[in-house]
Amino acid sequence: MTLSFIRIISRILVACMIVLPFQASAGLIGTDQAVSAAQAAAARDRVVRLIERTEVARQLQAYGLTPENAKLRVNALTGSEVAQLAARLDSVPAGANGTGAVFLIAAVVLIVWLFWS
Amino acid sequence: MIRGERFAARVRAGFLFSVLAAAALALSGCVSLPQSGALREAPPADLPRKAELTAVPFHVQDDFLCGPATLAMVFNAAGVKADVAGLTPQVYLPGRQGSLQVEMLGATRRNGLLAYQVPPRLEGVLREVAAGTPVVVLLNLSVRLLPLWHYAVVIGYDLDAGEVVLRSGKRERLAYPAGLFEFLWQDSAHWAMVALPPGRVAASAEEPGFAAAVAALEQAGKRGEARASYRALLERWPTSHIGLIGLGNTEYAMGNKAGAEAAFRRAALAHRDSAVAYNNLAHVLSELGRLVDAEAAARHAVSLGGPLQPEARKTLEAILARRAQAPAR
Repeated sequence: MTLSFIRIISRILVACMIVLPFQASAGLIGTDQAVSAAQAAAARDRVVRLIERTEVARQLQAYGLTPENAKLRVNALTGSEVAQLAARLDSVPAGANGTGAVFLIAAVVLIVWLFWS
Repeated sequence: MIRGERFAARVRAGFLFSVLAAAALALSGCVSLPQSGALREAPPADLPRKAELTAVPFHVQDDFLCGPATLAMVFNAAGVKADVAGLTPQVYLPGRQGSLQVEMLGATRRNGLLAYQVPPRLEGVLREVAAGTPVVVLLNLSVRLLPLWHYAVVIGYDLDAGEVVLRSGKRERLAYPAGLFEFLWQDSAHWAMVALPPGRVAASAEEPGFAAAVAALEQAGKRGEARASYRALLERWPTSHIGLIGLGNTEYAMGNKAGAEAAFRRAALAHRDSAVAYNNLAHVLSELGRLVDAEAAARHAVSLGGPLQPEARKTLEAILARRAQAPAR
């Protein structure tokens, strides 16, 4: 067994631990499955999504969350939201700054004016 | 002394110039601001001329915490107790010094509220405000290449004055010209969200997006809240597929099998090609002991084929096994 194979298996197992408590009861098809309406390759999709979920939880930990908190936060997201993050968590917008809007553009123009006039 | 005064005058003039330049940049033809323009030219007749939700409480933002601060304001407005300190661990990401859009939605669900992403139109945002719901928006306060992302809450507007009113950062009330607001808003692809109490349909709601938002609330484990929202959704769109399936699944999860059966039956009647509806109806009928009806529904589910056929087949096999054990029924 190669290391990468073991890694994939362990990710699937961790993913199962995270997601299984949220599955609908056996026999019922969950609403989330009905939502991913195209439903092409639904089963394969689910496995991919499980792996994405652990991957995003791992990345959130790398950005400073505790493992428990990362798990709670990932579980509040839908499959497609997780997929968005899995693709580019480091580049999606992170809303933060609160200074007045025009003032930033204004400050740049002001500096240019003071130095060149 | 004179030098100082002249310098001060230059600073004042420069500041005035730069504000004008920034405003001109935002409002001039070099950027296209179709939405505020259209609203100014031809405002919808059923949209009130102005509105302001003065009762929305203000939470001042420290450093990078506009995510938690804006959520606290809209949660309070929806009747949920919340403050910046309590929400920070739910939404703030230290390594990014900010809060991610999808986590704003996720944190809303964790607090038992429905997170709905408003369609990316200024008119939709104003309709929400007119209906009494404050709207969180994502703005870029800088140029596109060096973005400074910032969440603010839209609490009001005035079509005649051409203004959008915000709670933002340290400002409890900030009125922007509508064009400037649209300019700052456009880089986020006009991202906006509302946090709704369960059982309320957003004023700007469109059926697929709103149904998916309720399903996300259910998936986050808030089943009772989701059930209330599915019911409201079905009052507006009585044959919504996701609405009916979701209502059935949440009724079942809350222990109301008769309610689940009714919802799945409605779904099956309205959507003859829905394998989900027939599979779930079959499962509930089987649990209610009505095995003949259950088998018929399961066979129909299997006959529809599609990617969910394996699940439908499992349901059918379970029902056949139960019938074999209890042949009298």
